[in-house]
Amino acid sequence: MIKLLANALFMSTPLILGACGEVVAERTGMMVTAVEGIFLFGAWGGFVGAYFTKSLLLGFLAAIACGVLVALLYAVTTIHMQQNQVVMGTAVNILMTGICEFFYRVIFGTPLEPLTVKPLPVLPVPLLADIPVLGTILFRQNLITYLTWILVPAVLFLLYKTSLGLTLRSTGENPEAVDVAGIRVNRVRLLAVLFAGILGGIAGAYYSIGDIGMYTTSIISGRGWIAFAICFLGNWNPLLALGAGVVFGTSDAVGVYVKSLGSGFFPSELFTALPYILTILLTVVRRRFNAPAKLGTAYVKEH
Amino acid sequence: MTRKTRAAEAFLSTFLAITAGLLLSFAFLPFMGIHPLSSLGLLFSSMFSDRYTIGTIFVKAAPLILTALSFAIAYRSNLFNIGAQGQFYIGAICAVSVTLGLQNRIPAFLVILLAGLAGSLGGGAVGALIGLLKAKYHANEFLVSMMSTYVIAELMDYLLRTFLREKAKDYLQTDSIDPSAWLPVIVGKTSVHLGVVLAVAAALLVWVLLFKTQAGFRIRAVGLNAEAARMCGIRPETQCILTLFISGLLAGFAGFIEVNGMQHMLITGLDADVGSYGIGIAILGSANPIGILFASVLFGALKTGGTTLGQVSNVPASIIDLMEGFVMIFVLISYFVRHKISLSKTKRLLGKAVKHD
Repeated sequence: MIKLLANALFMSTPLILGACGEVVAERTGMMVTAVEGIFLFGAWGGFVGAYFTKSLLLGFLAAIACGVLVALLYAVTTIHMQQNQVVMGTAVNILMTGICEFFYRVIFGTPLEPLTVKPLPVLPVPLLADIPVLGTILFRQNLITYLTWILVPAVLFLLYKTSLGLTLRSTGENPEAVDVAGIRVNRVRLLAVLFAGILGGIAGAYYSIGDIGMYTTSIISGRGWIAFAICFLGNWNPLLALGAGVVFGTSDAVGVYVKSLGSGFFPSELFTALPYILTILLTVVRRRFNAPAKLGTAYVKEH
Repeated sequence: MTRKTRAAEAFLSTFLAITAGLLLSFAFLPFMGIHPLSSLGLLFSSMFSDRYTIGTIFVKAAPLILTALSFAIAYRSNLFNIGAQGQFYIGAICAVSVTLGLQNRIPAFLVILLAGLAGSLGGGAVGALIGLLKAKYHANEFLVSMMSTYVIAELMDYLLRTFLREKAKDYLQTDSIDPSAWLPVIVGKTSVHLGVVLAVAAALLVWVLLFKTQAGFRIRAVGLNAEAARMCGIRPETQCILTLFISGLLAGFAGFIEVNGMQHMLITGLDADVGSYGIGIAILGSANPIGILFASVLFGALKTGGTTLGQVSNVPASIIDLMEGFVMIFVLISYFVRHKISLSKTKRLLGKAVKHD
């Protein structure tokens, strides 16, 4: 049970990371529908980086670079070329599936044994890790997880207590006013999407080099979309997104656990599908929304 | 600008986008020490190598036509059904269950008919459900349809592991269906089956529905301006359920023709990318059923050529996925470029007109 809870937090980290990036971007009016592609390319880039440099740090840096690259492609086409964000995101995701599969083959050929790197180690916090029960759950996690917990309040502070946060939020609510104030709307949006790219890249790499230590084509399989949903269900608030992220992490962990038991007629698939079912249910149940007014619409300056 | 020149421009820019995507993806081949032009030549020559391969192009295009139509018809109504993959699976599950349950008990044509109906209605039901959630609870159809695909994929794996599993219990697949329940092959010495014709007919039907009937006008009216449509007495909520029902119906029908026409059984991960390809093709064909027909044949050909290429050379078959991605992006960028060009043209004309005054 304790192990399951610890694992739940472990699995929730990338979802929270991705959702935080998504929150910041969506606050400026940009739905990052390319999030699945960002995760995937991050996972790919992280693995390739870590495999060749034998360093997890460099792996994560490579993942950030990959995430930013995808985010840049998405941002330029949706912000500056004003293409529909949903259509463009779908296109980018398909492109990334192709790129990752193709270049994995280009770089590694078809290895007989799956290639592996040593995944992210557990980093017990001195003293705190020795607290019974709680210590095992909370303070025997990895570095990225701790950083994520620091990041959430930081993003919350940024959004609500700083002038930069005000700019970000206004860009999503009333871009004309931001423009009149002499701030370039499209630049704010571009930077917000790139921020989502950074976090999404790390989140993707968390699955490949943080968790299982290898890369497969189905490694993300919709986790990016779940991060997207978490932002939505967390009412565009990083703290609520953290809560939602833990719920999804738990269902992810339960799914992995049940699958490891093996099963006959018992539908263990139900648990694998749990995060997706949960997303549908929560989308339906949640009635009050606080969506940024200009979410999903390009800003065209009047001349 | 006249309609004709606009169509010509659209054709030209799409052609350029496809060519650019093709060239760019093959430009990566030297990394593998493979000569790109010779493999490009091989791609095209292997597509048309013999009668059977040419037939395969159309067999592969058929489900793509249907999933692309599925996305396009919802898109016309400003709805994003990106869950065609799941509706396709449901269609396949329904079709294979009906066929396995009824074959050799009732006349073969009835089996096929009922399987087709079950497949389409199964897919349609999923679509309508998504529409209902959207209309009644304001659920985001984009998110719900996306998630439903993953849920249905797990459901399919469960059924294939338990109730529908083949008698040999070796693989995650059903037993083969009886040849009497196969969609008949209509062109000799190929695998072109009746489903191909049905898919093309579906495209023509959707075209008529969208552009020549009142029902189609309603679909498009909601897409263009939901509030204006409401003023005219169209209820966008009901319309949303109906549109997504048709959208799911088309994807479910694709599941039926793949099971009864091509695969003759249900296997895990059947055509796992038919949904995402459908979206790509719908965009490539600018959500027009006729454009979709051409785009589907193009991708059917590339898939066929790509598979052969993967077998006879070291070029990975995934190069086709790479290409599809690039083509989609380039097509979208070409929309922007065309918009820019026509904008500057209008500006120039306006400038001239002002000078004359």
